[in-house]
Amino acid sequence: MKGLTSLFLGIFATFAFSWAGLALVPNFQIGQLEPQSDEEGTDVYPVPQSGMVERGRKIYTANGCFYCHSQQVRPDSDSSDIDRKWGDRRSAPRDYIYDRPVLLGEMRIGPDLSNIGKRAPADDQTGAAPAPSGNTPAAPAAGGPAPANTAVAAAPSPAANAQPAPASPQTPAAAPTSATDASANSEGGPPTYSAAWHHQHLYAPRSVDLDSNMPAYRFLYEQRRISGERSVDALSLTGDAAPPTGWEVVPTYDAKCLVAYLMSLDQSHSLNEVKSNAPPAAPAPGKAATK
Amino acid sequence: MEAADIPLKAPSISPEVPASEIEQVERALIDASTRLPVLMFYASAIAWLLIGTLIGGLASFKLHSPDLLGNVSFLTWGRIRPAHMNIMIYGWASMAGMGTAIWLMARLCRTVLRYPLLLVTGAGFWNLGVLVGTGAILAGDSTGYPWLEFPPYAAIILFAAYTLIMSWAVLMFRFRRGEQIYITQWYLVGAFLWFPWLYSAANLMLFVVPVQGVLQAAVNGWFVNNLMFLWLGAIALGTAYYMIPKVIGRPVYSYHLATIGFWTYAIFSSWTGMQRLVDGPFPAWMITASIAATILTIIPVATVGLNHHMTMGGNFQLLRYSPTLRFTVFGAMSYTVFSAVGVFLSLRSIAGYLHFTEANVAYTQLGLYAFYTMVIFGSMYYIVPRLVGREWRYASLIKLHFWAAAYGIGLMTLMLLAGGIAQGADMNDPAIAFSESTQALLPYLRARSIADVLMTVAHFVFAFHFGLMLLGLGRTASVPTFLNPVEAEGGEGHL
Repeated sequence: MKGLTSLFLGIFATFAFSWAGLALVPNFQIGQLEPQSDEEGTDVYPVPQSGMVERGRKIYTANGCFYCHSQQVRPDSDSSDIDRKWGDRRSAPRDYIYDRPVLLGEMRIGPDLSNIGKRAPADDQTGAAPAPSGNTPAAPAAGGPAPANTAVAAAPSPAANAQPAPASPQTPAAAPTSATDASANSEGGPPTYSAAWHHQHLYAPRSVDLDSNMPAYRFLYEQRRISGERSVDALSLTGDAAPPTGWEVVPTYDAKCLVAYLMSLDQSHSLNEVKSNAPPAAPAPGKAATK
Repeated sequence: MEAADIPLKAPSISPEVPASEIEQVERALIDASTRLPVLMFYASAIAWLLIGTLIGGLASFKLHSPDLLGNVSFLTWGRIRPAHMNIMIYGWASMAGMGTAIWLMARLCRTVLRYPLLLVTGAGFWNLGVLVGTGAILAGDSTGYPWLEFPPYAAIILFAAYTLIMSWAVLMFRFRRGEQIYITQWYLVGAFLWFPWLYSAANLMLFVVPVQGVLQAAVNGWFVNNLMFLWLGAIALGTAYYMIPKVIGRPVYSYHLATIGFWTYAIFSSWTGMQRLVDGPFPAWMITASIAATILTIIPVATVGLNHHMTMGGNFQLLRYSPTLRFTVFGAMSYTVFSAVGVFLSLRSIAGYLHFTEANVAYTQLGLYAFYTMVIFGSMYYIVPRLVGREWRYASLIKLHFWAAAYGIGLMTLMLLAGGIAQGADMNDPAIAFSESTQALLPYLRARSIADVLMTVAHFVFAFHFGLMLLGLGRTASVPTFLNPVEAEGGEGHL
């Protein structure tokens, strides 16, 4: 090795080459993506999330949920993600343009959560999109505030706008409890993936699923003595997880934000650059190939 | 130039005094000048190693016993796991590596270390940065980017500390004697320059002028792999290039092979990282480029491996005696295994099954522990006696350290790989419920916790032994501590 100069230049060049290739060029390619909208400028996707959801993202990050749960659906050709009903289509860069930090995840000790909000029971969702199986383009979007979806070919999902711009996510307080909910699951708990279900699952994972390896997040909940009426958002727990008589378990604000964040996770909106598997196959409005 | 010209030995200076004596005095002076900073880096690193090992063990047990200590926010698994990783990377690996690098640089520049207090201050601030960052993670202020979980206010302390340490390195080169730059110095100069560029580029692109959406994950993946290869990996390879020839007492087999190995390493390994995003929401070319680069890292692996093998030549019996050589050669061989597993996991057909499984953790452990940490342990066994003027007290403790660490990391890697394959096979069959894939993993995770116990034993034994050395309780002897009694043909004196 002749001299320090050539060594230094070589060391700098290899670094610069790698940085330019893997950080700079991709930034030119996909670093300035805009939300997608139809010709009338409506049906915008994705949209920024509310403050409660963003706070929920911080709770999700702080407690390392992303070490076990991914938020990305891989293409059908290479994985069983879509067969597992984790999504109707593969994830695309545009799905994440407002995410900071982006929480794609590297491990699946728990299931993928890309569409966990979408998979909640219909009456528990923000925009109330019907399940893909019951897809009829003419069906009115129950609760969708701006049904401007006139472009017939545009979206396989009839919900005009799953997340209206000033999104006010479902607060857990309004979620059905097991006592009142008609569509409770077989064990008598709240319907799967509803807000009440998430709270119970976060507080006592094995009371919901015996096989679960998820740690409990009881520090996000408060156990307190019932004074007067039972709180509307108190968890309905049974068995080992239940508090002593006269006590109740209520979510803290952080827990409500975390569940609001989970309920906001929804990549079901179609993207022009990605082919969707959602039945029936809509005529591709753009190029079908992925980027 | 010929391999034999590499100035491991100083040229003779005066005809009257035997060259070897001048050399010995010179080395003793250099070693004495590095004593305070290097021991400070080592002591801090070993303290972090013990803390990180205990937290890592807890994280490992929690994976199969999720209710263990679960109701305290700062002990939840999702916080202690990043705390463990960051302590190991910035507390243990970086500090121990810098200690070794400082000593090697002083020896190879053949100059006494100037301004040791600069380095001691740097080490102090670095410790503060790791402490603040770890506290922030446990308190719930993690950034959410793997290996960069320290929030910016901790990262800036680390960076300031690093600038102090770095400015020392510039001084060292300014005062070096002789024109030659030895192979080890290429890697160390590279590591010392690459780290600040990498760390600042990643922090700038994630926190100061954040890139959009998925690009954060790309920058993160680029940083993680480059930190592994260009910072830690470069230090370990440089160290191995010094220790193996030194202990055996002969020059590196081929200078030309070393040159090829160094530059192909710098070019190809710096382009890896995107393969961990396979099938994700990224342009396909990024992932393909990294897969190609990963496969091409076979070239530096083969050249470095061949060079070490030929340097060893017929001296493999020395592994019976020299602790340094045994740890270093274990690490150097693990570099080959690490890279082979990396190539295996990056292939698209395999990644389809093993992406998102514990197999990727096995890969990380191979790199950080079986390769990097073992090489650094080896260097510590060589350097510490030269700093404290005592030899290691108990050969039995060194053997216990080696075997517990070797069996520990071996068991851990095998369990995580096998567990990852079981997990991936279940995960990719949509007919099998997802929870089956995590249930299938549980026995492997339990076995991995046994491996963690073994490694905890190894680290506490080593820390105890190091503590004895610091207290001046090592042996006063003219010969180093051998692992086994040396037979007539064994001793070389360099061990």
